[in-house]
Amino acid sequence: MKTQEDMAVAMHPLAAKYLRPERMPHKACPGCGIGHVVHCTLNACEDLNLNADNTVWVQGVGCSSRISYTLWKGDNIDAHHGRIFAVATGMKMSRPDLNFICFTGDGDCASIGGNHFLHACRRNLDVTALMFNNSIYGMTGGQVAPTSPVGAKTQTTPYGNLEDPMDACKVAMAAGASYVARWNSTDFKQLTNSIKKGIQTKGFSFIEILVPCPTQYGRYVLGVSDPIEVVKWYKENSVTLKKAEKMSPEELEGKFLLGEFAHREDRTGIVERYWDAVKKIQEGRK
Amino acid sequence: MSKAIKRKDFVQGDEAIAEGAIAAGCRYFAGYPITPASEISECLARRLPEVGGVAMQMEDEIASIHSIGGASVAGMKALTVSSGPGISLKLEGLGWGIKNELPYVVVDVQRAGPSNGVATRVAQGDFYTVKYGSAGGNNSIIALAPKSVQEAFDLTIECFNLAETFRTPVFLLADETVGHTRELLEIPEDSEIELVERKKPTVPPDEFLMYPFDTPEAINYPYPNIGDGYGICVSPYTHTSRGYATEAKKDHDRMVQRIVKKVTSHLDMLTRCEEELMDDAEYAIIAYGCEARPALEAAKMAREAGIKAGFMRPIFVWPFPDEPVFKIASKVKKILVPELNIDGQFSREVARAAKGQAEVYHLGSGGVETHLPEEIFEEFKRIIK
Repeated sequence: MKTQEDMAVAMHPLAAKYLRPERMPHKACPGCGIGHVVHCTLNACEDLNLNADNTVWVQGVGCSSRISYTLWKGDNIDAHHGRIFAVATGMKMSRPDLNFICFTGDGDCASIGGNHFLHACRRNLDVTALMFNNSIYGMTGGQVAPTSPVGAKTQTTPYGNLEDPMDACKVAMAAGASYVARWNSTDFKQLTNSIKKGIQTKGFSFIEILVPCPTQYGRYVLGVSDPIEVVKWYKENSVTLKKAEKMSPEELEGKFLLGEFAHREDRTGIVERYWDAVKKIQEGRK
Repeated sequence: MSKAIKRKDFVQGDEAIAEGAIAAGCRYFAGYPITPASEISECLARRLPEVGGVAMQMEDEIASIHSIGGASVAGMKALTVSSGPGISLKLEGLGWGIKNELPYVVVDVQRAGPSNGVATRVAQGDFYTVKYGSAGGNNSIIALAPKSVQEAFDLTIECFNLAETFRTPVFLLADETVGHTRELLEIPEDSEIELVERKKPTVPPDEFLMYPFDTPEAINYPYPNIGDGYGICVSPYTHTSRGYATEAKKDHDRMVQRIVKKVTSHLDMLTRCEEELMDDAEYAIIAYGCEARPALEAAKMAREAGIKAGFMRPIFVWPFPDEPVFKIASKVKKILVPELNIDGQFSREVARAAKGQAEVYHLGSGGVETHLPEEIFEEFKRIIK
């Protein structure tokens, strides 16, 4: 049995600096992409000087959240399923000086928390949201998600999924988020840059990460449980915006678009507007 | 548009609740429009920015209660308000508040149900809902019920103080009659209002236990907030004393014991009843909230008719006042319980607490109107025959 000190030595220097050794090893399945995103998030924190004193990690419910919960050495606030942005609203409005990084999943954000997601975008709440999209409900055992492709055979769609998947980035853009991007979890450089931009952009930053899930999505939908094969499948089925420009609609059918979809630096959000308004109201009373 | 309230003013119960919240130090409000609680939101939307607080109209009831949970974690005294259909939705978030020992206040301005029912009219159908509605049981709900506009103000302040003292969500169980009645409200000077402020830990973070499982009865226990450097952990899962998720029965037992015992170990602080005409009473009428006023009138009518009737009203309705009810049951023959639901919610608790010492009768109505004193008096005459 390894002691906590041994574990700290075995940890990556970034992890040892920012994560709680007593919470290691984390709960991800072999081949899960969530660890990639945690790593990229720590890269961003390191570059932007975000630490336990000035940054709160916020979670919902699902693989994205259960794996990241209580890893961060600072505050970890884990909401009920889908309520992550409601809880984040209360915290960010009350403590605008703190940074909030929200770890949510496709089920948490796009399904049970869909309404809160829409309104967090509309209010342009100044937090950074990372939506881990594994296109399935992983933690509960592989049920169909609002992001599962048509035809996907899951535990609750044994005859194949009949519903079209949701494009959460399009929703975020339409609803008014300042920053919107999508990457594969293995696009370390782009993802790290995106998280940094998201943190630096005022207003709601929404970054969707395609997370390979060999245990559920790979095994039941793709028919492969080898993590390398699942990562390859994502590589083959995703195209950058630049590459997509030269492709026909037929060629793009069923492909994930990768890249930055919105970066509206001039757009203010509720936090800034609210506290500006309070200042004016209070001055008006003097 | 709500108007500015003077120190001594003729206002609605809902406005008194909003002013009570401001006086209590509430600086974060989130709500969703619903009759008959909307006036509270309207008042706070005007008042909170004036005092440097936050007033949010959220996208739904669920978001409202979760956002005040977030505000509470961030150190704010926080409030949400609603009525029946909205309270049903809020119950999900309430569980998060109970489990994580979050201090905040929920106001339920009860209206006639089930479902949307009669939105603009009174009832008392949420008595069990506020106590047992949040799924999973093992809860620590404290609920206070005002009978007047002045009490709506005073008890709102007390709800905030109790929330901080006990680190738990506290209900103000009001009703449409109290919420919409206009009466004289006298707001005391700030210096006359006693407030409980959140305690911060005095030990370093590595020595601090967020949840004191070894002393489950502890009250006034410190609650560090986000940004205080304590690395707090708050989640929907059963937690250890540091807030880490656990599935061990031992940990789960310790957590639920903590949640329940901090309240049940301090019943002396959580029991308050108003009694009238009880000294030589042979019969009693027990009622809470808006029903207390016609109930007292009925007791007086009985006295005028030569019947030795007494009156009792719990101000704290949860935890239920078992002791005071038992004492009354031990000295009277019969107890009448008028209430605005036909389930017999409140009367069932009275009967339970009476432990067979007196016969307990339920006078129910589905709501829409409060009972008239005459109706209660007629039923009273019938049961004592």
